[in-house]
Amino acid sequence: MRNLIRFLKRYYYIFLFILLEGFAIYIISQNSYYQGSAITSIANETAGSISNRTQNISHYFTLGSSNEALVKENAMLRGMIESSYVKYQHKAFQHNDTIYKQQFEYIDAKVIQKTINKRNNYFILNKGLLHGARANMGVISPDGIVGVIINVSQNFSLVMSVLHQDSRPNIKNSRTKISGTLVWEGGNYSAGKLVDIPSSIPLKIGDTIITSGFSQDFPEGISVGKITSFDKDKGTGFYIVDIKFSVDYNKLEYVYIVKNFFKQEHEKLTKDIKNE
Amino acid sequence: MNKDILLGFLHFILIAAFQVFILNGMHFVGYINPLIYVWFILMLPTNTPKWAVLLLSFSMGFVVDMFSGYIGLHCAVLTFIGFIRPLFISVFFSGKEIESNLRPSIAEMGLSNFLPYLAILVFIHHFLYFTFEIFSFAEIFKTLFRIVLSSISTILVILLFDFLFFKQKK
Repeated sequence: MRNLIRFLKRYYYIFLFILLEGFAIYIISQNSYYQGSAITSIANETAGSISNRTQNISHYFTLGSSNEALVKENAMLRGMIESSYVKYQHKAFQHNDTIYKQQFEYIDAKVIQKTINKRNNYFILNKGLLHGARANMGVISPDGIVGVIINVSQNFSLVMSVLHQDSRPNIKNSRTKISGTLVWEGGNYSAGKLVDIPSSIPLKIGDTIITSGFSQDFPEGISVGKITSFDKDKGTGFYIVDIKFSVDYNKLEYVYIVKNFFKQEHEKLTKDIKNE
Repeated sequence: MNKDILLGFLHFILIAAFQVFILNGMHFVGYINPLIYVWFILMLPTNTPKWAVLLLSFSMGFVVDMFSGYIGLHCAVLTFIGFIRPLFISVFFSGKEIESNLRPSIAEMGLSNFLPYLAILVFIHHFLYFTFEIFSFAEIFKTLFRIVLSSISTILVILLFDFLFFKQKK
């Protein structure tokens, strides 16, 4: 017994290390297998409430530019409301509320913590379960695409930014309608890459890239960026396209969480395909 | 001793806050991401019990993790640094110096001793951190580039802070 105690006393340090290291690795494995693990969501809640306070101070510095973005968006939306249109077709349907069914709803949120200089970047938003945010909802800003929620706690949600190696949103060229995938290869936070765009259809520098609406996270037509340069990859027959993001992720402050009412139905329908 | 604990606590909060709220939001050149929270572990007094170093590395890692979204990564890497620190302490300090509870810094060690100690540990830390963060061989050159640039920036920031905040002996 005394030997055992001596043994433990001597090597406790190594045991403690293995214990702590093991715990850390356990948390990492939880992260990657279950999006929305309990530990992440507790940590999220704590970090969120602290960041919320510091954000209250730092957001004064960006008030000007956020205001500008919001005003611009307001003006655009004002142009879309009914009162700014003159009715030309008087034969329009009477009960047009049964013709349209709302597919997307938006929850406004504020970014309270973010990273942009890592290989994999995340945001924390100040809206959580209580406000209707759920995992796998898309997040957009007035300027364009932002990311996808991967974890929610009571009051906060964690967003995987498009500046992440696992983020591969489906996009399309607004002019040619050809779709592809957006990837980010690290480094510059204002430049991304498009892959899977067949090189048979000509591109132009300055083409606008928008979300395709194929993935149910984002509505169709959300701005992504503009093509800055492109090159044919001889081996594969695809373009390698560089784009400049329309969103300045460094200044990001107010965003919208996208709630898709048809998502479940869509997932149910496509579930069988994935299983095969 | 009490003063040391209080001071350590203060360092913990200041360094974590600086890392999380200032450095994590900064963006230089795209590849540079100084991770100065390692400094907290490196500058613990030489006589700090090993278990305390381990627990402190774990908690510092966890706090930084909480604010960067992906829990566990900083934690695992920093705990490893806490684990190998005593080895480096015994290389860079004599037995007598360890007993007298020195704080590894330019003031106590001189730049010629402190720099290698700092550089080796920071490099090991960054190497592990960026390797595990990216976890793919596809981007290996980019990763190496990040490791080198970030290590250099971290070392420079720590040297600057050490020089500014700790009294230099004449």
